[in-house]
Order: sequence, then structure tokens, then C-alpha cells
Amino acid sequence: MRKYIEIAKIYIKAQLIWRADVVLNMVFTVTKILFAYLLWGAIFGSKAEVAGFTFHSMLSYYIISAFLNQLDMSSLISNEISTRIRNGTFSKYMILPVSIEKYFVAMESGVVTFYLAFDFIAAIVWIFLFQIKFVFTTNLATIACAILIILLGLLFMAQLNYYLGLLTLKYQEIGTFLMIKNNIVAFVTGSIVPLVLLPGAFVSIMKLFPFYYVTYLPSMLLIGRFQNERIIGLIVIFAWCVILQIVIQVTWGKYRRKYDGVGI
Amino acid sequence: MELVSQLFFELTVEDTLRLFKEIYGIPEEEYQNTKNYFVNLFDVKDLMNVQVRTLSLGERMKMELIVALLHNPQIIFLDEPTIGLDAVASKQIRSFLKAINEEKGTTIVLTSHYMEDIKALCKRTIVINHGCKIYDGDTEELFEKYQKNKKITLTFETATELPQLEFSELDVGIVILEETPYKKVMMIPKERTSEILRNLMEFSPSDISVEEEEIGTVVERIYMEGGQTFA
Repeated sequence: MRKYIEIAKIYIKAQLIWRADVVLNMVFTVTKILFAYLLWGAIFGSKAEVAGFTFHSMLSYYIISAFLNQLDMSSLISNEISTRIRNGTFSKYMILPVSIEKYFVAMESGVVTFYLAFDFIAAIVWIFLFQIKFVFTTNLATIACAILIILLGLLFMAQLNYYLGLLTLKYQEIGTFLMIKNNIVAFVTGSIVPLVLLPGAFVSIMKLFPFYYVTYLPSMLLIGRFQNERIIGLIVIFAWCVILQIVIQVTWGKYRRKYDGVGI
Repeated sequence: MELVSQLFFELTVEDTLRLFKEIYGIPEEEYQNTKNYFVNLFDVKDLMNVQVRTLSLGERMKMELIVALLHNPQIIFLDEPTIGLDAVASKQIRSFLKAINEEKGTTIVLTSHYMEDIKALCKRTIVINHGCKIYDGDTEELFEKYQKNKKITLTFETATELPQLEFSELDVGIVILEETPYKKVMMIPKERTSEILRNLMEFSPSDISVEEEEIGTVVERIYMEGGQTFA
């Protein structure tokens, strides 16, 4: 375990070099909130509620959702693996006495830990700037469940990107897979519009898939809604992590021999 | 251990070494001893806390070697360890590898197109051609067998002609590479060096040099003939 903590620590340290990225990352959270402020300000108009949301609970949802989205930096994993496999330097990881998957999870944990503080500060600043009456649950069990779902969601995204990266062993171009993943994630995680505003049948189907639980459910839980889904949410996202882990093991076992790292 | 860059370019070498200490589970005391041994051997004390991206290629290669050797591996695989390095850095890397092999007993499997690396470092050489082993044995023997010629350069203070007729008794296997009134360069069969030199001295050259055949030519010969000899 110590080796993975050290991997996370070194990536935290490496982020310090790229301070401009941190500032940009913080600033980018505002675009989503500003968009939500203008859009929902117009939609709410004189209405007090839309689909069970007040104007301020809707903005609270967007702030939490934007915060969680910014934390998911798992695309770093697929990009790194894909590039390394293609140019033959993936052996950098293969020769180390570590689990490659855990190495990447530790790497993402380091990066996320670093950005966590800054994204949190950004969220607080936007709450004050937009004078939002921030809605946040006070139920400790719900908060605990939401945190666990968030952690499992981040783990799932790391696993998914690890898996997509490994597909470079089989396919020359994984850009299409990544594009499909990004589009699904952007829409199905509810970061564009809350899923509750979509048709019920669509949402019911989405509940079977993991993306519903990555940002949408924890965001809703944290603003005090969908409390009855917290346990089932935990079970479903955990099950998806297990399923994806099995898929990863099978894929790695099957394709690792295809790796070619000669002539570097 | 294959030499793929393990250094974090944004950080210092010390940071990467700390990471590798944990990855390989090296106890603190052993870590300090090994690190200090290599830092002194490579003379890189001043570079340990410098950002890796600011190091030169030669310096970086030394650091990569330290990272690769930190856990005292019994065997290391090096692929072109001196590629792209200047003559001084190449020589340093070769002497470090030799020291590591002798002092730590580390086996080094080295692939290189630079024959200087091979001659300086390898007692045993394996030559592979199209995936087939065409030689496996003593490096000196290999060069002894395939280094068939020597290059002789003669310079004269006055214009001199080497009499063709007299010389012809000896000229079997002699190839004239360059000929001017004041300078003659020729390639001669290695086993006839003393005999030919004795005769050439009769023409009173002002200077004479005898060089080993170029290594590239030797390698070419190994590949041309070796397949038939050793297959």
C-alpha cells in the first residue's frame, strides 16, 4: 500500500509545477454555473419550482455536479496508456513490481487530491459570487453514502479509462471509443441537465448503468433528494466496479502478449 | 530491467528515487548506501535536486541508470545506452557500467550498434542476424577472427613512388586506398603486417602509422560471412 501512497504523493507534487492549469481548472467551473444561472433564471421566471427544484436548489445541484465533474480526471489514464502502448514505452509500467491498474488509480488519486482543495475553493467562491442560497442535506447517513458513491464513481471512471486505454493493444485507434464515452458521460451523468427533467422511462433505464451514479445521484443526494436511492445506488455502482474489474482482467490476460516495445 | 525513461521530468531525481525506494521496498539504510554509492560513482551530487527537464542528455542517462540500479538488480538489459551521447559522456557511461559489473557483480546484457561499447564492456558477444544466432563467444576472438586487415599510412618528405615491380612480389592482398607523391594509404592482410612493414621501411618514410581496420567494416564482414560460418 505504501508504494501506491508514494505514487499518489509524487503526482500531487508534479501538479505543483503546472499552477496555470489549476487556475484554469478553477475558472472553467464558472462557465457551467454561469450558464445554469442564466438558463434557469429565465426558465424559473416567476415560477417557484420546476420538477421539484427551486431556483437555488437547481444552482446548488449545478455547483455540486460541476465540482464532481472537475474531480473526474480519469481521461488522463486512457490517454497515457494509449500513447505509451502506441509508441512502445508502456513497458515503463510493465517492468515495475506494481499492479499497473493500481498504479494508475494511485496516479489519479494524487491528481484528484490536489485539485480537490482548489475545486472546493472555486465552488465556495461561486456560491458567494452568485449569492446562492446553497441547499445541502444535513442527514449524515446520506452524506456518508454520497461520499462512498462518489469514491466508487471515481474508481469506476478510472477503471473504464484504464480498460479503454488497454484496448489500444487490440485496436489502432481508440479515439472513437473515447468520444462515445465522453458523450455518454456528459449526457448521462446529468452534468448538462438534471436527469429528473428527462422522461421517466429513460431515467429508469439509466439507473441500470453506472454513469447515473457517477455524478448525478451523489449530487441529488447532497442537495437532499432521492434519499431512498442511496443504498441501491451504492450496491449498483459497486457491482459495476466488480464487473468492470473482471472485464479488465480478461482483456489484460488476453491482449498483453500483443504488446510490442522494441526499437525505442 | 529495460532502460525506458522512469524519471519524472517535472520533478527532481531525488523525488523519483524516493518513489522507487517505496516501489521496490528498499529499507532506508540500504537506500541511502546505494544512492550514495551511485551518486559518488557518477559524480552527480549537484544534480540530485535539479529539475530533470533541465538536465543534458548525458546527465539524464546517468540518472536513468541510477534509478534502474537502485534496487541492485542481478541483471540489467540496456538498449543502446550511449546512443546520442557525445564522446566524453559515452566514455563515462561505459566506465560506470564496467565499475558496476566489477564492483556489484551485476550482469549486463547490452545491445549496441556502437562497437566501442561492445569492445569496452563485453567479454562475451552474441551476434544475431535475421533472428538467428550467428556467433556466441568471446568478443576478442570474434574481432580476432574478423578483423582481417590493417591500414597503413606512409608519409614522405620527398616525392616517392613505390616501385610497382619490386612491390608486386608482396602485393597479394594489398589494396591502395590513397596515393599521392607524398602519401600512401593501403590496406594489408593482418598476418603479413611485419613482412610488409619491413619492406616499406626501405623507402624511408618520414612517418608511418598502423591502424586497426574500421569496426564498421568488421561488423559488415561478420554479417556477410558469419551466417555461413556459425549457422
